[in-house]
Amino acid sequence: MTAGLEHYLGVSALLFGLGLVGVLLRGNLILMYLSLELMLNAASLALVAFDRFNGTRNGQILVFFIITVAAAEVAVGLALLVALYRKRQTAQVEDLTGMKL
Amino acid sequence: MPLLTTIIVLPLAAALLVALVPRDLRFGIRLVALAATLADLILATVLFLQFDPGTAGYQCVHRVPWVSALGIEYHVGVDGVNVGLVLLAAVVAFAAACASWEIRSREKEFYLLLLIMAGGVLGAFASLDLVFFYGFHELALVPTFIMIGVWGRGEEREYATFKITLYLTLGALLALVGLLALYLQLPAGDRTFDVERLTAYFQAHPMSEAAQQWIFPVLMFGFGILVSLWPFHTWAPPAYSAAPTPTAMLHAGVLKKFGLYGLIRIAVPLMPEGAQRWLPVLAALCLGNLLHVGWVAMRQENLNRLFANSSVAHMGFAFLGIASLTQIGLAGAVVVMVAHGFLAALMFGLGGHLWQQTRTLEMNDLGGLLRQAPFLGTATIMAMLAGCGLPGFANFAGEVLVLFGASKTVTLASPHTWVALAAWAGLVIGAVYMLRAVRRIFHGPLAGHSAGVPDMSGWRRVPFVLLLGALMVFGCFPRGLTDNLQLPAALIVAPAAPRAPALAATPAAPGSPPAAMPRSSAMP
Amino acid sequence: MHSLPWIILFAPLLAAAGITLFTLRNPARSALLSVSAVAVAFVLSVVAFLVFPAPSAPVELSGVWLAVGSLQVEFGVRLDPLSLVMLLIVTGVGGVIHVYSCGYMRGDRGTGRYFACLSFFTFSMLLVVLATNFLQLFIGWELVGLSSYLLIGFWYERESAAEACKKAFLTNRLGDVGFLLGIILVWATLGSLHFGELAAVLETTPGALGAVASLAGLLVFCGAMGKSAQFPLHVWLPDAMEGPTPVSALIHAATMVAAGVYLLCRVFFLLEATPAWPDAAPAWLDGITALGVVGWIGGVTALLAALIAVQQDDIKRILAYSTLSQLGYMMMAVGLSAPVPAMFHLATHAFFKALLFLGAGAVIVSLHHEQNIWRMGGLHARMPATAWTFLIATLALCGVPPFSGFFSKDAILAAALDPARGSGGLFLVGVAVAFLTAFYMTRLVLVTFQGTPRSAPASEAVETSPVMKWPLVVLAVPAALAGFWSIDRFLDRHFHPAAAAPASGWFEQWVAPLVHAPLAVLLSLVAVGLGFYTAYLLYRGAATDPLPAKLGLLARGMRAKFYLDELNAWCIRLTHDALARLADWIDRWIIAGVMVRGTHGTTELVGRALRLVQSGNLQTYVLVVVLGIAAVLWLALGPRP
Repeated sequence: MTAGLEHYLGVSALLFGLGLVGVLLRGNLILMYLSLELMLNAASLALVAFDRFNGTRNGQILVFFIITVAAAEVAVGLALLVALYRKRQTAQVEDLTGMKL
Repeated sequence: MPLLTTIIVLPLAAALLVALVPRDLRFGIRLVALAATLADLILATVLFLQFDPGTAGYQCVHRVPWVSALGIEYHVGVDGVNVGLVLLAAVVAFAAACASWEIRSREKEFYLLLLIMAGGVLGAFASLDLVFFYGFHELALVPTFIMIGVWGRGEEREYATFKITLYLTLGALLALVGLLALYLQLPAGDRTFDVERLTAYFQAHPMSEAAQQWIFPVLMFGFGILVSLWPFHTWAPPAYSAAPTPTAMLHAGVLKKFGLYGLIRIAVPLMPEGAQRWLPVLAALCLGNLLHVGWVAMRQENLNRLFANSSVAHMGFAFLGIASLTQIGLAGAVVVMVAHGFLAALMFGLGGHLWQQTRTLEMNDLGGLLRQAPFLGTATIMAMLAGCGLPGFANFAGEVLVLFGASKTVTLASPHTWVALAAWAGLVIGAVYMLRAVRRIFHGPLAGHSAGVPDMSGWRRVPFVLLLGALMVFGCFPRGLTDNLQLPAALIVAPAAPRAPALAATPAAPGSPPAAMPRSSAMP
Repeated sequence: MHSLPWIILFAPLLAAAGITLFTLRNPARSALLSVSAVAVAFVLSVVAFLVFPAPSAPVELSGVWLAVGSLQVEFGVRLDPLSLVMLLIVTGVGGVIHVYSCGYMRGDRGTGRYFACLSFFTFSMLLVVLATNFLQLFIGWELVGLSSYLLIGFWYERESAAEACKKAFLTNRLGDVGFLLGIILVWATLGSLHFGELAAVLETTPGALGAVASLAGLLVFCGAMGKSAQFPLHVWLPDAMEGPTPVSALIHAATMVAAGVYLLCRVFFLLEATPAWPDAAPAWLDGITALGVVGWIGGVTALLAALIAVQQDDIKRILAYSTLSQLGYMMMAVGLSAPVPAMFHLATHAFFKALLFLGAGAVIVSLHHEQNIWRMGGLHARMPATAWTFLIATLALCGVPPFSGFFSKDAILAAALDPARGSGGLFLVGVAVAFLTAFYMTRLVLVTFQGTPRSAPASEAVETSPVMKWPLVVLAVPAALAGFWSIDRFLDRHFHPAAAAPASGWFEQWVAPLVHAPLAVLLSLVAVGLGFYTAYLLYRGAATDPLPAKLGLLARGMRAKFYLDELNAWCIRLTHDALARLADWIDRWIIAGVMVRGTHGTTELVGRALRLVQSGNLQTYVLVVVLGIAAVLWLALGPRP
């Protein structure tokens, strides 16, 4: 049995769903962040799979961009998290409601 | 560079220069602003003097294509209507720059904004392309809000800033909707923002009645809000009493007239049917300005609020002149605009100076100032007398023209009622509140905060002498303005004129004669 | 000849400008400048009078001041018999008063300002006199009002003066609204503002004004009512006495207040037009003509003011009410279609009333600004020149032959008896006023100059300085003799150019009134004699006023000016002040309150409601976003109906 497009997409959907549930349910910012990355990777996987089965290259180029930007994002985001933790002494999202009007 | 473009660019270039001057060099900043506005004043005077009233159409035209796909180009020019307004703007800009001595904090930013405002207002009056016309106006309007919010005075400052920002943004947006709707009335291939071409097109192919009936009121109320048309006037008194002096001078004196100018330049000539249908509404509302706001002014206890209310009330004359749809009335409206521009700048300038000296403008705290500060007192009393329509000041010429024009109006059922009420408002109500203020602030024994107020000295008199001089020159020689207005005023009302006989033939109001009788002798 | 009227007109303006700009701090130079300007104007006016072409074709010079479309306003000068007479009065009497002012204002720190205003007044008055058209006249009219405002409020630090000048200006403004509306109505109907053209049109077609004829006439009369202080707009004139006395003499007796009469004579063609009312007007207006209203307003003013004058104690106020009463006389004459006697009386009145005021001013200065006549007395011996000239003026005012007032007043009474245009009622009013005039003037003279001094300043008073004395003497000449100068026949050339009266000797002139209307002469002389006699009986040697005890309530009413000031104040409170209160309330609570703040409040309420959604929890937001995306996907990709 060879892996078809639907298998790739199934894995991608599974990853995306896991990530989404993680973002929605986990209270720790770091874990939410990890879940977010999971969703990003799910999207990348889907792009590469579509690309492979449609015989084009555009999606792969897009994935390169995603990887690069994600790396930059992680650098900035983690730095912000650390700064926030230093200021507030917590990384729990329930405690960070300062933007409420 | 062509004269008109130089006049517009000069203050903007000076603003750029101010941005480059170091913050500590206060004298340099001030010098740049004064020099630029003075040069502008001289150039505008040259422009005014070399303007030829005999030729129809625009003079000193300068075009630079910009976005030709959308029909946008930089196009400036003057005719009899805006040549006076450009002069007004230049004079007031210089006076406002002179009066800026009261600003002591963040001077660099203030002068920067002031110069941008001056450039914007000059550009708005000179532009003959709707995009630039509107864009320049916004360029001048936004600094107004910032200046009131940052450099304003009094406890009401923030509320006043909110109010003026919301009101004027709403007015400007309505006007923008109207202007874009005008643009879209043209067939797709010929679309242009050029006022001259738009006018020519709509004179050749009149706009559909239905379109006129909704675009005209949108423009009328949009422009009307900008000019403090009753009942959309309540932004004016708090804003002007909170605004720093130069801002109040430039806005009340010049920028506010943009709405009237828009009505005259765009709304009336392009949509004659709309004008005939909607100008009676404007005439009814202008009574609100004349009478209601006049009475409100009678109750004011604060000098700046009195000036602000009187300034709103005077706009009623300009509205009435436009609403009369006659050559005389329209010319009168423009004269009122120019005259009131000088007057409002003068009033707010003097009020600001007085506030600097006494830190109060409450009439109860002041009294007997004329003995204490003769120049300040005399200038303010002259301004107030000009405000109640005394001959010798340009306001009289304008108001009389409006009244004469209104008596011949074709859009109103009983013009004489309007004339009578407007005359009552101008001659009696105006005199009551102005003279009461003179009585309380300048006459009588010396009182309260008036003691120890120094008189204005030396160069600080310059802007006020200049403004008073302008008022008196045009008051004694109103032809300086009206000769320019003969042709354009006739052209603007002409599209609405063919219907005139039909309306005039309907049963006239009591007091109006059946028909003018043939004259035995012609005027010499 | 062509530059002559222009120089007359602008010399005072130049003086005013020169004083304001250069010599405000130098009293002597300011006075010199002002006096020489008016002197130049007077000399040139005399020249103009002498070279004026005999048959009365008006000389006119003008340029266009304002022209838009069908509205054309000129700025010009018009010389005709009417304006020449006024020119001579304004510059002549004005010149004498300018000289007198040099003495009266000596030592006041505002002397420069005073002369600037005085010169400016002369200019504005000349503008009124020389105007060729309605709007130019209106401009002069307003400027005259302005200079009157400035001069009444000359001592503006006094509360009373500050109030008086405001009141004068505002009352005048009330009349001016009517005047301006009248001008607009005339223009809208006939299409011209030029006096000559309008007169020509109305002469050929008296009905040219159509249905608005009476309305236009009455509106123009409103202006005259304000400036000439006719009932009910008369209230400002007595208060205007707060100004310096020479100002009262020049502006509030001789010239400005007479401008209303001049105006009506100038536009007499308008009043004479076929009377008619618009169809919509109520029926009771039908019998009323503009001229009739003018006559009766004049009559009422004359009587009312004379009655009030009887019980005033302030020397200037007595004269002010007397001025009102005489102006009423002139208005009455206009209303009787007799413009020539009206102008004639205007001229003689200018002489003797200016003289009376200047005399009063001399008394006031000598008594260190005491104005109450009951604190004077016995001044005849101490100030003989003032007393004698005052007496001459009094006799002229009362209409005793052969003084000037006799001829002019008699011409008016004769007009009232004219069978065609006269009115018996107005004649009786005229005779009653003649009696009252003689009465209050005798009271004034007896109490002020006769008897014994009743205060310390009065017993130490001395004759004034020559610069104030000689103007009195100079003015006494026309006050006594102007009746023989055939002013009326010169004016006839303007109003009845066809029927030029034949020249006659001075004796014929003297007895002319007796020949024309013997009844008028006799009755008025009897009334005057009766007035002298009763006043003499009552006030000879009196130290207090015996009249209040005799008349009771009536005297109280006279003293309180019949409560008209209170009535006016009450009216204003009821109308304008109430409206202002209401408008302010609407502005504050309805427009800025309910409407603006209402919109603002609604917006804010919605904002507050929506704010509850904003929990601040990141995960809630994400959930909303996810649900939103799901909904969008469902809508985009879901099953189609």
